[in-house]
Amino acid sequence: MRKAVSVLLVVFWAAAPIAVWADCKEHRGDRVVLYSTTDDPSVLIWDSRARLRSYYGASFDEAQALLPHAILVAPGTRGTVISCVGDYIESPLFQHPEEAVGVTISSGPQRGVTRWVLGSDVRVTPNGHP
Amino acid sequence: MKNEPLANITGTLLITAFLLVTLAFAVQGAFETRTEIAHTFSRQAQIQQAQIELEELLRLQIDEENSLRGYSLTRDPFYVAQYHQAAAGYDAKEQVIRGILHDQQLSGAGVLLGAYSALQSRWRGEVARPLLRNPRARLVALDKRNKLFSDYETRTVADVRAALAAVEARLVASTQNQLNRSAYVRAFWVLIFGTLALLFNMYRSRLNRELEQERTITEILQRAFRSESVPLPHCEVGSAYCSATRQLAVGGDVFDVYRLSGNRALILIADISGKGVDAAVLTAFIKFMVRAIALRHSEPAAILAEFNEAFSKAVGNPYLFVSMFVGVLDTATFRLEYGSAGHDCAYLRRSNGVEQLSVTGPVVGVMEEPFYSKIIDLEPGDTLVLTTDGLTEVRNRDGKPLQSAGAMELIEQAGAHAQQLADDLVEAARARSGPRLRDDLAILAIRVLDTERVYA
Repeated sequence: MRKAVSVLLVVFWAAAPIAVWADCKEHRGDRVVLYSTTDDPSVLIWDSRARLRSYYGASFDEAQALLPHAILVAPGTRGTVISCVGDYIESPLFQHPEEAVGVTISSGPQRGVTRWVLGSDVRVTPNGHP
Repeated sequence: MKNEPLANITGTLLITAFLLVTLAFAVQGAFETRTEIAHTFSRQAQIQQAQIELEELLRLQIDEENSLRGYSLTRDPFYVAQYHQAAAGYDAKEQVIRGILHDQQLSGAGVLLGAYSALQSRWRGEVARPLLRNPRARLVALDKRNKLFSDYETRTVADVRAALAAVEARLVASTQNQLNRSAYVRAFWVLIFGTLALLFNMYRSRLNRELEQERTITEILQRAFRSESVPLPHCEVGSAYCSATRQLAVGGDVFDVYRLSGNRALILIADISGKGVDAAVLTAFIKFMVRAIALRHSEPAAILAEFNEAFSKAVGNPYLFVSMFVGVLDTATFRLEYGSAGHDCAYLRRSNGVEQLSVTGPVVGVMEEPFYSKIIDLEPGDTLVLTTDGLTEVRNRDGKPLQSAGAMELIEQAGAHAQQLADDLVEAARARSGPRLRDDLAILAIRVLDTERVYA
């Protein structure tokens, strides 16, 4: 019995990341460029994906309170995808839920830090797959 | 002296009234639908205008932000002027949109627009003004706040856009409903109107057929009972009879020239109140009854008195009466003795003019008052002209009747011979009334010839 439960746990552990990545268009190791909307192309990168989600679902004042947990990076900042959660962020701004993408920044003043970014702010570069 | 067929007229008027009411409802409905649709289109145009203005407002907001970025990067005062121009444009545009939303009573969208403007106002206070005061101190915190404002303004504009789109969708649906309803209502009224028109046409056809049948019968009866022109010694006799135009029932006019014993001749013209078959049958009754009485009495007053009594007993209808002229002419002496029962359409044309023969008693069938006779000695060339009121009541286009004065003028101008005179009067009546004669017209003319030439 114990053996069977252990096998099931191993299977779930192995399958969970597959399920999380399943709805993402980015893949681990993709080289990406950060660029937001044309209205304001700079990008907020967040220290946790939960705060990223809260920012887009919160009121203005709540969102303002979350700002210390975000860094604003210039459009064109480069990075590498290390993680992704599909359909994670819901907002009146989006027609469909967006994904949260974990990115390690590889250019600019924030080089080397790893943060969470809104999926639509992430553009995979040509030949960006490893 | 003719009565209208009231029942038929009432039916026709009722159906006509129904048709007119139906038509009025249909026209009113069409105008109402047109007004409603025009109103909806107007609202739709206003909403679309608001949508366009909203996009323009968003553009001006971005212009403000970009001008600020430009100033922050270059410190060029040009960008400050650009910023102020965009800000003024934003405020003016916001007022325009607010006015439209207020006019269209879109309070929900108005609240959202207020929230959007409030955000922009806060952005100016918390981000723009600090940067304008100190462009060198381009703080990261300010940039982050700028991003925050940008995100939320975009979200609020999206909400306003969605609200306007929902209203527009409702208006489009409303227009479609109005068009559909208009089509159904129009179809309904066309159906009602068409059915009524069909019924009206059927009713009118039936009515016309009945009138035509009655008219035909009446004309046949009148032709059967009307006297031919009987020649009288030393006299010319002319006559004419015109039935009322079709669609109007034929009335009861009658005339008769009948030779009694010796040189005496009976001259009769009568006009019966009422019309149709009953009146036509009465013409026969009058003609033969008067003939029979005239064989026993030589004096017109006595003939009228006896006929009055016989008529009242035979007809028994208090609403039916007769105006009639009865004359007895001696064709040897040309002495005319006559009685006129309310018949004022009797004239005598002489060489010095036309005179109207006076009435000598009431119309027959109304009261039992005495009748009187008058005697006139006719001269060679004199013409006795008897007509019914179809002549004196013939109207011109303005509706003015000819009356006795006009009739006397026509008689004076008419041809010399008796028949020519009768024909001229008919022609003049038709010329005055147009193609339609509203009443029957009977004319009897007796002209005394030159006795010397006759005896020669």
